[in-house]
Amino acid sequence: MTKRDKEVLAGTESDLNSMTRNLDELHHDVGMPALRDGVDAMVEDMQRTARSTSRRTFLLGAGAAATGGAMLAIGGAPALAGASTRRLAPMRDEAAAVFPPSDLKGDLAVAAVAASLENLAVYAYSAGLTAATAGKLGTVPPAVATFATTVKGQHQQHADAWNGVLKSHGKAAVTVTNPKLTPTVQSDFAKVTDVTGLAQLALTLETIAAQTYQAETTMLKATSAIGLSSSIQPVEMQHIAILYYVLGMYPGSQTSSGTPLAFNPTSMAV
Amino acid sequence: MTADPRALGELLEESQDLQADALRPTHDALDELVERNDGRRDQDHAANLAFHEEHQRSLRASLGATAILGAAGGAGLVAVLASAAAASSSGDVQILQTAASIENLAVSTYKTALTLPYIGGSAANPVVTKFAQVTMGQHVQHADAFNAAAKHLGGKAQSTPDPAFVPVVTKAVASLSGATAAQGSLGVVALALELENIAAETYVKDTTLARSTSNKALFASIMGIEAQHVSVLLAVQALLMAGAPQDISISSGTAAMLPSAAGSVGFPNAFYKTNMAAPAKQGAVK
Repeated sequence: MTKRDKEVLAGTESDLNSMTRNLDELHHDVGMPALRDGVDAMVEDMQRTARSTSRRTFLLGAGAAATGGAMLAIGGAPALAGASTRRLAPMRDEAAAVFPPSDLKGDLAVAAVAASLENLAVYAYSAGLTAATAGKLGTVPPAVATFATTVKGQHQQHADAWNGVLKSHGKAAVTVTNPKLTPTVQSDFAKVTDVTGLAQLALTLETIAAQTYQAETTMLKATSAIGLSSSIQPVEMQHIAILYYVLGMYPGSQTSSGTPLAFNPTSMAV
Repeated sequence: MTADPRALGELLEESQDLQADALRPTHDALDELVERNDGRRDQDHAANLAFHEEHQRSLRASLGATAILGAAGGAGLVAVLASAAAASSSGDVQILQTAASIENLAVSTYKTALTLPYIGGSAANPVVTKFAQVTMGQHVQHADAFNAAAKHLGGKAQSTPDPAFVPVVTKAVASLSGATAAQGSLGVVALALELENIAAETYVKDTTLARSTSNKALFASIMGIEAQHVSVLLAVQALLMAGAPQDISISSGTAAMLPSAAGSVGFPNAFYKTNMAAPAKQGAVK
């Protein structure tokens, strides 16, 4: 590498970091107030919207089928698995047999399942970052580490948004990972030994999340709940685009053979 | 050893044929629209009247508070906009036509961009060229889907671009004249970025405005695709502005070449905004 190359790269990093800081400031100036407004509106809207308690959504399937499933408690420092050498011990809990909790109906039940999916994503990225820090994933490109850190933070905000709705209705926040998907994610994560494997696992989780939110738009009743779900789906889709790019593939939703898709499917929604 | 995503895939049914599934929402949407169309005509007529009256009330209230328009100008604008609202048969038709108008503008913009040597010519980055070609094709499909849905509701297809954004594109394209390849590339990316963001934000908002479940599904199946276009363009823009066009490539070694900040530049917000969304009636057929 020539001296000039190094100078160009240094400039590149500096410029991009500056842009990222600007975007982060913009996010906190615009994005967070918008989120708070959105959650407030959703709470008001859901309180106004009377709906049948017998209504079920597709999302409930991700909880109703959870009997015997495992979930992970998400706290300030989620339990982490090191790649290949450590496995998370599934935390079996009686509550896992009935998820979402039976006192949550309609849109609130959907909110609970959405929060559990976001918790699972937070867990996966946390585990990935820990494994990377421990040197268990080989060489980790700086852009990949930044991606994982940033995306983890966004998923945490998504979880917080859904839990904010639950708490505003006097319900407990969901602090566990999705019980249906957790065992498989654990199993797959244990096989991850490099960045490519981690990106593939992340791609699957992001795809499930994006398609689930997409399907929600026709299932949720409260307009503001639809708005919250729809404000998250495109962000998960952006994560997907960058993950494909990281994997050296066309940066957009695509078929298994790599053909770009003009319409996003929902076959992987839970 | 890498993760085997097949294990997760086994939990999910019908995940093998993504292309067919991707088109299903559109087909389902159109089928549902056809089934509902006859039964909804009376209901739609009443709703359209209410929509039209509400539109006129809100418009008058808005104009009444806008002193700069004055009495004569305000009255004229009311007539023009009210006729646009009345020309379409329902709120859903109008937002579908507006969506089609945005897609039409995107198609023409990418088509123009691809004639430029640094976008579609031999001097262009092949990744940028492929992205522009693929994205243009996707916008064609989106326009077709929106128009098909509008027609099934008894509306007309929108074949022209959104009139509010045409001057923006015209001005941007004019500014490319005489630009260097580097300047021109940045100009095209900035313009495409603006259009894609408008599209994505409009459709996010439309999922809350559409009354038909099938139309909600249609908007939802497209909004994320546009957001992905935004993401790619943000990354490309950042690399161009940083003087690193060589990093715009698709290969197994791409990630290792990218600077750290490239890992987050493509998704600046945790929640997609809608402040740039086009008004529902802006591109409706008049």
